[in-house]
Amino acid sequence: MRALSKILRIAGLTSIAALTACGGGGGGSASAPSSGGGSTTPPPPPTAANVLAVQVSPGPDSSTQGADINTLFTSVTVCVPGSTTQCQTIDNIQVDTGSYGLRLIASAVTLTLPVETIGAGDTLVECTEFADGYSWGSVVKADLQIAGETASSVPIQLIGSSGIPSAPNTCSGTGTAENTVAQFGANGLLGVGIFAQDCGPSCQTAGSASDAYSSYYACTASSCQPTGTGTLTAQVTNPVTLFATDNNGVIITLASVPTNGAASLTGTMTFGVDTQTNNKSGSQSIVALDPDDGEFSTAFNGQSLPDSVFDTGSNGYYFADSSITQCSGDYAGFYCPSSVLSLSAMVQGENETGAVVGTAYLVPFSVANAESLNTSEPSYIAFSNLAGVLPTTGNAALTGSFDWGLPFYYGRTVYTVFEGSTSSVGSGPYVAF
Amino acid sequence: MGAGMKSRSGVDRSLDRVWRTGLLTAALLLPGIASATLGQPEASVRTDATQLKGSVQASYQANYRVHEIQLPSGMALREFVSLDGNVFAIAWSGRSMPNLRQTLGQFFDQYVAAMQVRRGDHRHVQLELDNLVVQATGHMRGTYSGRAYLPAAVPAGVSLGDVN
Repeated sequence: MRALSKILRIAGLTSIAALTACGGGGGGSASAPSSGGGSTTPPPPPTAANVLAVQVSPGPDSSTQGADINTLFTSVTVCVPGSTTQCQTIDNIQVDTGSYGLRLIASAVTLTLPVETIGAGDTLVECTEFADGYSWGSVVKADLQIAGETASSVPIQLIGSSGIPSAPNTCSGTGTAENTVAQFGANGLLGVGIFAQDCGPSCQTAGSASDAYSSYYACTASSCQPTGTGTLTAQVTNPVTLFATDNNGVIITLASVPTNGAASLTGTMTFGVDTQTNNKSGSQSIVALDPDDGEFSTAFNGQSLPDSVFDTGSNGYYFADSSITQCSGDYAGFYCPSSVLSLSAMVQGENETGAVVGTAYLVPFSVANAESLNTSEPSYIAFSNLAGVLPTTGNAALTGSFDWGLPFYYGRTVYTVFEGSTSSVGSGPYVAF
Repeated sequence: MGAGMKSRSGVDRSLDRVWRTGLLTAALLLPGIASATLGQPEASVRTDATQLKGSVQASYQANYRVHEIQLPSGMALREFVSLDGNVFAIAWSGRSMPNLRQTLGQFFDQYVAAMQVRRGDHRHVQLELDNLVVQATGHMRGTYSGRAYLPAAVPAGVSLGDVN
């Protein structure tokens, strides 16, 4: 998605335009840089049924929108339930450990998928709230094939679907519409985080009757009302949890990225943890996640940050540090130190009460100048040292969060074990690396 | 549970800070809910207080007031009011996004237009316009929090670090 996104997209396009105006780029990419970037050592290509190829790539509309930065993509095959012929493989689907369930932009889907209904035949529609906008669309069912794994009649969201009323104020009032590929920055989103459902128990009974928040709506042809889903299984569901086997977690392995960045990056997402010979737990740092919210604790610069997350859907490390120079202009929101900073933080698990549990682990990371990263190699899209700003409020972060985004996954193998699942080394939900 | 506690503790921290100052002089409960609208008079809190059940607490600082509104959805909305009676900042934390159309008021369309051409990932907003700053973060089933303020309307002597 637009990771640094649109910001860097615009910058990238500007750079290209500038080169064109100057009469060409002077030789392009005939030779690889001698050091510091451009090439990565890819892991072995996927060979097993439970291994999915993933890559950091520019995204679905990079020619017109500029490239996505630090955004992990894959392909998923979608079929009409029960059919082996009415199928479609859709690429440029973002891999996201920070959400739950598959969402597809309707314009990228050529199949007619059956709509989920609720109550007296109303259409079940979801308003997915992101910090930067909302996605509105029907819940439909599909059979999915992801690598060699399959799941049947999976509730997914068809974003921007037709035949339903436009988003009501309770949805559209939360921000900017992200209902098209151009708005969303991907053809879809594959949420493989620790939860099975994207809202959970609170959306079973919530809705207009209780005043409680629900992301789900019951829609007639003319109007929509917030609703509970009645059952958990009606909710948009992390498809990995519905696989017949290899359904207790995912393992993401990504190549490392040189200091100056890389033009592309490949990796794998392996399904299951300790279910096959190729997904064994090793000697790991295990961080328990609060089963209520998927969060853990980070200690950084004297801040205790209990709302921290591991999230492939974040395009950088995000934290508050008022001592680091922030970028301005098109790069506002990112850090722009004059030289690369070597920093570190401690991560530690949390239990269901929010109390820290387990061992605290030191995690080093680097922060480079975001503007320099982009302008020095405009074609690069993977950066291991890109960091963004969470507002500083007094002596603590506004959010109490340290967001370990996709750069954390570069050069690592990161295990995510789901809620209610176990591996040979522990009970989920946890992240290990 | 955990997040709920943390969310509450976040609110508590905010209020604690107010309490610690010793300047908290009033707390009131309104039967209806209120909404904080950026750039609008403080009275908007009460005139909007008709639709939802919620509680409002007011606290008084040396050079601004804070109305904290607890919504049935679990959202905690805080509005910051200058001594001349205008809302210069809002902040929120909860399990979903607040209704920004309501809370940003006349600035919502400007916010949406700016976000359409300038966007980070889906998890972070750091929008700095000449007249409006919006900062937000949020994760599905986790914590959503953020703030918006009008830079030119922030009273002298108020630290943005207090807007949380």
